[in-house]
Amino acid sequence: MNFKKLSVLAIVVLLVGAFVVGCGGGNDEPADQGADSGEKQVTIRFAHWRGEDKEAFEKVIAKFNEEYPNIKVQQDISGSEQYRAKIQAELQSDAGPDVFTTFPGAHFATLQEAGVYADLSGAEFLDRFSPHLLLAGQADGKQYAVPYQLVFNIPVYNKGLFEKAGVEPADSWEGFLEMCQTLKDNGITPIIFDSEIGPGQFMNPMLMNNMPTDDALTRVEKGELKLTDDWFVKTLAQFKELKDKGFMQDDVLGTRKAGAAALFAQEQGAMLAQGSYMMASNKQQNPDIKQGLLAPITVPADQAKYEGIHTSTFMIGINAKSEKQEAAKKFMEFLFRPEISAMYANVTGQMLTVNGVEYESPELNEQAKWLEKKTLFQPRYTLTVQEVEDAIVNSIKDVLGGMSPEEAAAKAQEEVERSIK
Amino acid sequence: MKKYWGLLPFIIPGVILYTIFFAIPLVSSLALSFTDWNGISPDYNFVGLSNYVEMITDDPIFHQTFGNNLKYMFFVVIFQTLFALIFAMFLAKNSKLNVFYRALFFFPTVIASVSVAFIWIFVYDPSIGSLNTILKLFGLDFLKQSWLGDKNIAIYSLAITQVWMHTGQVMIIFIAGLQSIPKSLYEVARIEGASRWQTFRNVTWPLLAPAATIVVAYTTLQSFKAFDLILAMTDGGPSYATEILSLFIYHEAFRNFKFGYAAASAVIFLIIVSLITIIQFRILNANKVTYN
Repeated sequence: MNFKKLSVLAIVVLLVGAFVVGCGGGNDEPADQGADSGEKQVTIRFAHWRGEDKEAFEKVIAKFNEEYPNIKVQQDISGSEQYRAKIQAELQSDAGPDVFTTFPGAHFATLQEAGVYADLSGAEFLDRFSPHLLLAGQADGKQYAVPYQLVFNIPVYNKGLFEKAGVEPADSWEGFLEMCQTLKDNGITPIIFDSEIGPGQFMNPMLMNNMPTDDALTRVEKGELKLTDDWFVKTLAQFKELKDKGFMQDDVLGTRKAGAAALFAQEQGAMLAQGSYMMASNKQQNPDIKQGLLAPITVPADQAKYEGIHTSTFMIGINAKSEKQEAAKKFMEFLFRPEISAMYANVTGQMLTVNGVEYESPELNEQAKWLEKKTLFQPRYTLTVQEVEDAIVNSIKDVLGGMSPEEAAAKAQEEVERSIK
Repeated sequence: MKKYWGLLPFIIPGVILYTIFFAIPLVSSLALSFTDWNGISPDYNFVGLSNYVEMITDDPIFHQTFGNNLKYMFFVVIFQTLFALIFAMFLAKNSKLNVFYRALFFFPTVIASVSVAFIWIFVYDPSIGSLNTILKLFGLDFLKQSWLGDKNIAIYSLAITQVWMHTGQVMIIFIAGLQSIPKSLYEVARIEGASRWQTFRNVTWPLLAPAATIVVAYTTLQSFKAFDLILAMTDGGPSYATEILSLFIYHEAFRNFKFGYAAASAVIFLIIVSLITIIQFRILNANKVTYN
């Protein structure tokens, strides 16, 4: 082999070598010394999906660094749908985030079964929460994740339009229909509904008083109850009734979440069938809007067990593979302090599960009223099989698209049976 | 043979990259397709061909998805090719105005799919969308549709967006094909008294066959691989009416946590796309002619 060939070969070997070394580069933090403390500098990665909260978390992290200058917190934010895919892949590797968030229900169940969570049971910061709000992050009697946000998955209503039409939130199905009719008679679209998240949100209050037991959807998943049973068909029939009576805007299935929210903010409809988490952005779009929360009660008033739906979500946990679990726990403890939570809540407009938080905005105070009411944990999030959830949500879309409730229920039940066999 | 050994170092980087990013994932997918792995658990079981059997015999959503993909593909291939050809015929000459129009038609291709999706979501919006508003303005209320909400038309609404986005791109391939046809052939056709249609039928189209082959094959692959546009516009809804194979694979893997099943559908997807492409190449190559 002559010199030229040897040179070419050497360059190639160097390039390939550099490439392989580059690919295999670890994520170890250089062990810098903290400027003041002399302690080892640690960087923890916090993965979540709430891009809109980036600024609020930056403020929290800045405060955290005043107390813990040697722990850097790096936010790693993805859109919610991409986040599901990304976190799953990252947690399999040794390079996953140290602190990460999950959705309750199927997402949490799958990750928990895969053993990706460090056990947080016994952590002192858990005392700052009402026990029932921590349930969504528990499995096998252990606390694996801490739900941080509290959401009421019931329609937001426009108080001004309700006053204009002279109606009050109803406490029975008959009353709800009358209320919608009065709004419609006054030229106001009663319900703004979207196909993107609307069915998955509105199904919860529609089901809460129709279900034979609070765990009815879990029993559907276990094969003990069927979607062709009366309680579910009745719920679909009530959806159909709302649609057929013209209580929803035209073409609900073609309306996206943002479009529906824009219509509501422009006061073109009285209720937005999404949830309390929309109140802050509605207010941003229309500072004059006065908002409240209400739930459709699908039974006579004396038979109603629940007044609304709540979800404890944005569940924060620690990666079991993380070598920086102590630093991660310190960050969680700091985040869950009432005064820090208040800072976060008042910047983001999100209600939190932490006790003793002082809320400033009228929207958050409106949501706080619902802490006193009898609410059920979101039934949709009691499902652990995604296909069952999809079957239920799609049955609502089918009914809104013109299919009969019986046919839609039968189709959904077929999908459930196929998924759980 | 010996004289080629010196070239080996030039091939090795490519082979390494191909092996890491294509061959290994392909073989891994094939291996995964015989398991029930959920994508995250350290444990999984070997399930043989059951993922394939279930998909082919007992999965109505997969069947619907495949049907949706065929509808989407036929619509996109036919209309994108047709419009691209028409625009190319008009814009083949290199005048300044034509160059401007080419750039204009090509422009949607360079916009990110997600941005295109958001534009078209607002075009199709039933309440504030421009399409229904324009129809109403011209007294054509009867043509107003639930563009993304009606199960029967949503897939075609998405296909229209795809055609809008990529027509300019394939138009460029046709223009290159048209410009490579010798002018002398058109002169001969004119002297022979051929009409415009006869000239197109007997000169232009046969000599455009190589370009058309590329366009049709590329558009077919593009319509099978369409993913981000549909994910952002409908996420496969309503009720799976716009779910196509690429989205089905994604949902099975990352929503339903069925990685093994998703891998099996990816293998089926690969086979389907390969078969369709081979058939297209054969049909279009059969029409190819050469004038000496």
